[in-house]
Amino acid sequence: MISVRNVSLTYPNGVRALDNVSLEIGKGDFVFLVGHSGTGKSSLLRLLYHETVPTSGEITVDGIRVDRLKRGRIPALRRHLGVVFQDYKLLNDKTVWENVAFAMQVTGAHTKDIMRQVPRALDLVGLSHKSRMFPGELSGGEAQRTAIARALVNNPKLLLCDEPTGNLDPSNTTEIMELLLRINVKGTTVVVATHNQAVVDRMRRRVVRLEDGKIVTDEERGYYYLGLGQGQVLSG
Amino acid sequence: MDWGKVKFFLGEVLRNFTRNAGMQATAIGTVAITIVLLGAFLFVRATLAGLGNDILNQIEISVYFTNDASTHQEDAVRAALSKDPRVASVAFVSKQAGLKELRAETHGVIDTSLLTENPLPDKFRVRVHDPASVQNVALAIRKMSGVANVVYPQTIVARLLQLGSVLRRVGIVVIAVFLLVAGIIISNTIRLTVFARRREISIMQLVGATNMYIRAPFICEGFLDGLIGSVIAIGLLTAARFMLWPKLVLALPWIQLNASTVHAPALVAELILTGAAIGILSSWISVGRHLRT
Ligand SMILES: Nc1ncnc2c1ncn2[C@@H]1O[C@H](COP(=O)(O)OP(=O)(O)OP(=O)(O)O)[C@@H](O)[C@H]1O
Ligand SMILES: [Mg+2]
Repeated sequence: MISVRNVSLTYPNGVRALDNVSLEIGKGDFVFLVGHSGTGKSSLLRLLYHETVPTSGEITVDGIRVDRLKRGRIPALRRHLGVVFQDYKLLNDKTVWENVAFAMQVTGAHTKDIMRQVPRALDLVGLSHKSRMFPGELSGGEAQRTAIARALVNNPKLLLCDEPTGNLDPSNTTEIMELLLRINVKGTTVVVATHNQAVVDRMRRRVVRLEDGKIVTDEERGYYYLGLGQGQVLSG
Repeated sequence: MDWGKVKFFLGEVLRNFTRNAGMQATAIGTVAITIVLLGAFLFVRATLAGLGNDILNQIEISVYFTNDASTHQEDAVRAALSKDPRVASVAFVSKQAGLKELRAETHGVIDTSLLTENPLPDKFRVRVHDPASVQNVALAIRKMSGVANVVYPQTIVARLLQLGSVLRRVGIVVIAVFLLVAGIIISNTIRLTVFARRREISIMQLVGATNMYIRAPFICEGFLDGLIGSVIAIGLLTAARFMLWPKLVLALPWIQLNASTVHAPALVAELILTGAAIGILSSWISVGRHLRT
């Protein structure tokens, strides 16, 4: 589903966010992306939906050469994937319902499909009762769940989640992670960048660890911290 | 037809339109001013052109025959002229009729009764369809046999034709400048509204909206700006036409101003189309510029 080959990314300000990164993610995989703040997790995800372009290297997503994508083909790529942004990126003058519906409207979906899918997505994230509220009236967790609902509503083949539980309480976190698992079981490839140790350690999924823009480990059933079991914490 | 989509689209347009009321007012005002100036200019130009045409249309070519010209020669000239597609009419004025005309025109100052012989030659009075062809027709007639002289108000024709072409050329330049300035102002205004919504636009792009999809509401907005602006302008122009024009006609009695040469419905349609077109074009350009960066 995703193939990243020798990708480096240097931002215009000179920051080298990714350094010769190579990564293969198969169809239906569930992958955690972990690492300290500022090691390039978001940068890597942004490359996958062509918000930024790599300085060098090749990126293929669902058979599309993303690094060489022509401007006109970008929308088609993005419609095939759902993205939960670290900063949610909700439209402040649209209600929760409209924000979620919006992701379908831009694809030219029929109104009757929108009317069917949006309530379902809101129900999945437990926000049906807030559908008429505006982002400004939501708690951080509710805004985050709105963003998740929007990413899900088109039934994407690939779901990219940047810190999707950063603002959720433990029970909400568990619910959302279970939701992501269920979606994954139905065949969607899921990539989650996270700092949430408990989640990673409990789920025991593939863990790709970044450090200073490099992939340092890639374990099939890994933990948040390298080589450590559940409940253990590194001091210092 | 998916009415949900239509409703959504119109909702978007309306929302954008009402949100930046100040900027919309600027854009609409710019269109209105441009169209008022343009309309006034076109109106004056049409009136002047009409004035020139009135004079030109009354111009006639007098064809004088030699005193010994035969009826046969005169008939040949008449036949040739009747066949000429440029010629509108040919009238024969005999020596006697010519004398009578002269008498009438001079109000008897010239005592024609003193004449022992009629000195006037036979003549044809020729009118053409297109004033621009006067000179060529006159030259052609001059070469015909039996024709002594061909007379027409040469300088007036030349001047008026020249004036017409100058008006046309100046008009094109003035109109182009008007439209360019208006286009720049409107596209800057719309650029501000685009800038105010850049976050929204970037989110739309991130969830997979095509550029056309993002553009459409802005184009519609530009179209509305242009339409409303030009309708306002036409209101102002109409008011001016009925309130100021009569005063102007009175103030300039020596010029026979005649507004009827202006075809009002066509002018109104032209102005509205122009307004709408500037709106659409300038928003197209400014959104496009934003989307490309
Ligand atoms: N748009 C940008 N322009 C310049 N530098 C950037 C930009 N975005 C990120 N960076 C830099 O690139 C590096 C990686 O940033 P990135 O956001 O990918 O980290 P991250 O792993 O997602 O961190 P976090 O866990 O805090 O979200 C950082 O040093 C950051 O300062
Ligand atoms: Mg990040």
